[in-house]
Amino acid sequence: MASSSTWSSYLFIPRDDTLLYFLALLSIFSLLTQQLTRHSVLASSADFEGFGDETDDIIDDESDSSSLITNLPFRSPLPPPTTNLETDHGPPNPQIPDPITTTPTNPNNLDFWDEDEFEGVPILEKIQETPDVIIPIKTEVAPPVRSPPKNIGSFTVEIICVSFLITFIINYFTGKKENENIALSWASRFATKDSIFDKNFSLLGTGDGKDTPLLLKEGQNVFKFYASGRRFCQGMLATMELKSRHDLISRLYNMVVPCKDEITFEVYMNDDGMDQVVFALAKKKAAKVMHKELRDLQTYGSLISSGPSNRKWVAEELMVISESKEVAGDIINEAVLDQDESRLGLYNIIEYFDTGHNVVFGDKAFPKFGKEFISMHFSDQYMGSHRKMLLLKFALPDAKTMADMTRLVALVPYYIDLIGRYKLSPQARSKTDVARAKVAQEVYKELQNARQEALQKKKAEKKKMVEEAEAKLSAEAIRKKEAKDRAKQMKKVMPKVKMTRGH
Amino acid sequence: MNNNNNNNGNDPRQPSTAKQYVPPAVSAQDLPVDYSGFIAVVFGIAGVLFRYKLSSWLAIIFCAQSLSNMKNVETDLKQISMAMMFAVMGLVTNYFGPVRPGTQS
Repeated sequence: MASSSTWSSYLFIPRDDTLLYFLALLSIFSLLTQQLTRHSVLASSADFEGFGDETDDIIDDESDSSSLITNLPFRSPLPPPTTNLETDHGPPNPQIPDPITTTPTNPNNLDFWDEDEFEGVPILEKIQETPDVIIPIKTEVAPPVRSPPKNIGSFTVEIICVSFLITFIINYFTGKKENENIALSWASRFATKDSIFDKNFSLLGTGDGKDTPLLLKEGQNVFKFYASGRRFCQGMLATMELKSRHDLISRLYNMVVPCKDEITFEVYMNDDGMDQVVFALAKKKAAKVMHKELRDLQTYGSLISSGPSNRKWVAEELMVISESKEVAGDIINEAVLDQDESRLGLYNIIEYFDTGHNVVFGDKAFPKFGKEFISMHFSDQYMGSHRKMLLLKFALPDAKTMADMTRLVALVPYYIDLIGRYKLSPQARSKTDVARAKVAQEVYKELQNARQEALQKKKAEKKKMVEEAEAKLSAEAIRKKEAKDRAKQMKKVMPKVKMTRGH
Repeated sequence: MNNNNNNNGNDPRQPSTAKQYVPPAVSAQDLPVDYSGFIAVVFGIAGVLFRYKLSSWLAIIFCAQSLSNMKNVETDLKQISMAMMFAVMGLVTNYFGPVRPGTQS
């Protein structure tokens, strides 16, 4: 009810730029009425043209002067106006005869024709030489032009556009349903009772009640899932950005330029729950782009092609960006690189993840379980509302094959615990401290420079103000001086008058 | 919401630290640009001024796209309704308006 009242108030009470909106509405309405009135006037004005057919009148005049007039051609009557609905340009119909050219006229009398003087006066052609018998020859009146019967071909644009709109509407509902199914499939797999997030977070969903929905729908293709109440972190926000299946134009575009459904996990770490760590893992191309574009990786991180000595490392298609090899080695540990297939059979899938074995990034495991992996980015220097964050980005599989990303989802709680517990060695810490101090110094210098610039600007402004004031004062002083000089000059110019006292 | 603790002492859940979700406040300036709405307005105006049927139809199609991708009712609806009015206006003048001089059907 409240929403309807606000809606009505929004429509009918002009505020801000709503007034302009109404003015535009009014102008469009006036344009429409003007067009329609013009149309009706054009339709009715044909009745007043020419006041009937002049060919019915026969002029019987025997004088020579009258013969001059009567030999003039007829004024062509207007054909009845045609109101056709098609506005496309086309050549005029060549079959319509021109009434003026068809009128037989006496060649001797053409010299006397004056359009302005004899408008609307009919011509009579003499058949015989005698002036007594005059037979009028009527002009051929053009038949009313009828628009040809329209075939389907003339409505091609309309048919295409209407069918596209119908397809668009159908696709909107089917695409919307498809996206909802994917989001619900993910939620039912990972966010319901006894699922991985239920075992790791005490609060699931965006509401505060028990029956609140798990997913928050932000658009037809954006769904959010929130979880909170876990050690080492303030909360976690999973954002599903799906393809715009509901939008036919976007769907057609995605056929040409393919894209994937994505899910991004943002974990907001506690201030004391994360050491000085800047780390990223992605496919080679993406890693290079991340290293260029993300400020923290650019400042602190460097590309690491090989891991610590005598250690298995990530799959060939992956690349690590980290502050140091030590940090990279500690984060990409044996648990996520384990290649021993015999160990995989020891646990069922949930127990396997609960024990912390998240085999994803190894050479053998990655093609199987890492197909949907996009990137990971852990940073204590994140530029945003939260300083310390873990960002994990994966591609979403189809609703039917949602189980394929179980291992990837299990990385989220695994890395929350790993980063939460992780402490740098004294050597690594000294390095990171130096790097951060250097950056802090640079930032401080920048601030100082900015302050100095601001001070200089202020000083310059003050100086200008003082100079202007002085200029004003000096101008006044000059004016006074000039006035004095003028007075002196006047005194000099004035004639000397001797004053005598009368006794 | 889910306060059932596991029997083992290694339960990562901490109900006391749970925080409600607060959606970040997004200003109207930070919202993504509605390109389809803008294109719809352009086509709509072109349809009315130059009396192109196709232009008006395209305006209606882009209006539909803009409407389907609408996120913020307050800001987006004005542009969409404006585009829709121009598009409908164009179609009305094209199909029911007076014939242009020099045209034959």
